Amino acid sequence: MYDSTKARAVLAGAALLVAAVATAQAATVNRTLSVRALNKTMSDGQRVTFWVFGSGGMMGGGTLPGPVVELGVYPEGISTTDTLNLTLNMMMAPQEAAPYNGHTIHLHGADVPTAEDGVPETGAPVNGDTYTFTPTREMAGSYMYHCHVHTVKHLEMGMYGALIVRPKDAAGNWLNQITHEPATAYNYVQNYVFSTVDPAYHSATGDAIVFADYNPRYFLINGNEGRSASAPASSLSAARNSRVALRLIGLHSTNGTFSIKDGAGNAKPFTVYVQDGRAYAAPETKSSLDISPGQRFDIVFTTPSTAGTWYPQIVYKNLRDGAAFANGTVYGRVTF
Amino acid sequence: MKHLVRGAVAWLLICLATSATAATRNYTLYITSGSIAIHGGGGATLAAWGYTDVAGSPKFPGPLLEANEGDTLNVTVVNNHTLPHNFLVKGLTTDTTSILPGGSRTYTFTAAAAGTYLYYDTLNNAVNREMGLYGAVVVGPPDGSNRAWTNGPAYDFHRTWVVGEMDKPRWNDVAGSGGTVNTNVYKPNYFLINGKGGEDGMADSATTIDGGVGQTALVRIVNGGQFSHSLHFHGNHVQVLAVNGVRAAAPYKQVDVINVAPLGTADVLFPLNQPGSYPMHVHTAQMETANGVYLNGVVTMINMR
Repeated sequence: MYDSTKARAVLAGAALLVAAVATAQAATVNRTLSVRALNKTMSDGQRVTFWVFGSGGMMGGGTLPGPVVELGVYPEGISTTDTLNLTLNMMMAPQEAAPYNGHTIHLHGADVPTAEDGVPETGAPVNGDTYTFTPTREMAGSYMYHCHVHTVKHLEMGMYGALIVRPKDAAGNWLNQITHEPATAYNYVQNYVFSTVDPAYHSATGDAIVFADYNPRYFLINGNEGRSASAPASSLSAARNSRVALRLIGLHSTNGTFSIKDGAGNAKPFTVYVQDGRAYAAPETKSSLDISPGQRFDIVFTTPSTAGTWYPQIVYKNLRDGAAFANGTVYGRVTF
Repeated sequence: MKHLVRGAVAWLLICLATSATAATRNYTLYITSGSIAIHGGGGATLAAWGYTDVAGSPKFPGPLLEANEGDTLNVTVVNNHTLPHNFLVKGLTTDTTSILPGGSRTYTFTAAAAGTYLYYDTLNNAVNREMGLYGAVVVGPPDGSNRAWTNGPAYDFHRTWVVGEMDKPRWNDVAGSGGTVNTNVYKPNYFLINGKGGEDGMADSATTIDGGVGQTALVRIVNGGQFSHSLHFHGNHVQVLAVNGVRAAAPYKQVDVINVAPLGTADVLFPLNQPGSYPMHVHTAQMETANGVYLNGVVTMINMR
């Protein structure tokens, strides 16, 4: 029997929901990043000065990489969008001398107007500016932010972080998916920010011949060396039969090959859903992935039904012949 | 009889149509020694050898060779240099016979498949290439239309980017003065797009993506250098049509970084979709400098009106 009263109630409820959604969903994400010096003692005992982003205001410290910035995008049929307002606070920021003084934030991979691109040479203001990004739902995926002043030095100094565009549901709740496709759902997610360090770049200033020759000595994931499987740069404890998403973000200045290996060294398959913030029409299952400077990939793999440990890892390689650097393998770890 | 005549006329038309599309293109390249200048901060003059289209005047990169699919190319290479050289189009030719100083050789080949190719000198363990002996071959569809290939994606204008790098103190200076290069050590300090660095590349209208919103540019990239080049397009995504001559199928991947390996090629489609000015540069730290001086290296501009 058709219950018209109930149907009307459901319809009214739906209308209410739509009205509520229309007012509740659009978020403005206001974040402020400061710049701080950070001294790190590396595995060989050498002390290296980094410049890093932090969100702690005047007294707060910064981290390598900088804080993760997340921004939501909505399902089909929802017209409003989140807007990121990322403000650069220059108080107490370490700087180079002119003409390379000051800093900017470049939203790498974000399709933004020229004025929001963070490039001094194309007219973006340096110091204290706010950078705005309003992605559309097709732009879910991984991006990065970094300083674009005297980039050869400032990027290398550690002025970078992950910028993640994540799907939300119609009510504005985060979805544990890479995109709005349910096939990209995950139970666990981690960022893997890849970077390399040539200590000579960190002590050089201005225009120096040292910048003509890149000799990385430290190889990082998420700011950590992770030189052995037993002392990984990043670790995760996941349930068996669960889906683990990794956001691979290339802030290194060499070539690199990513893979996931078990304890016996066998490569495990993973599926790439998104590259450079754009979903593949057909996801690609791979056992290794070359990642060059500036690239990002969003991948998912499934943990097995038996207990064990896998090691997501990157082998950093030189730009000439792809030979691996000494100490150039950096390990992550996933136990299940 | 009437049928025969009609048949003969049809056959004649087919022949005419065939001869109209498949052309023979003759190029002469002179190998000569000289120098190239890198302008801007950190700039210098580098010893170089080049394929040129005018005898006596060095050019880097070598002249762009253009053809349509099915065309026959006769490339006569005249060696006006003091060392042996050759000419290979990767993916199109196989003849690597040396041309002795003072000699010449004609390489005849068919432009087999529409796409982007690299030509270079394969001799002397990359030293000859380092000195500037490379360039691009671009092949369009048989009808010469503005499409990447027959029934492929259409474009309004195209650019060809020849990228590479040079190690002045250890390779160019040594080879240019007749010495023997230690090829185990390669630390390039100049990074070039179409033979230019930095603001020269950003101002070179043959290199910049420059047009009106709504237009589409086809960008053909060849890497004649010995380093991988990871090209980053600011504020925009490109569609990847082909990598190393392997065509992709639609819908094409959209990326803001394309990595081109040494001796590799890539074809990307750039839809001009917003007004503004954006840089395109290689994202590797050192490649944004000339001998360590910023801003230089592999960089150009995207200017949309």
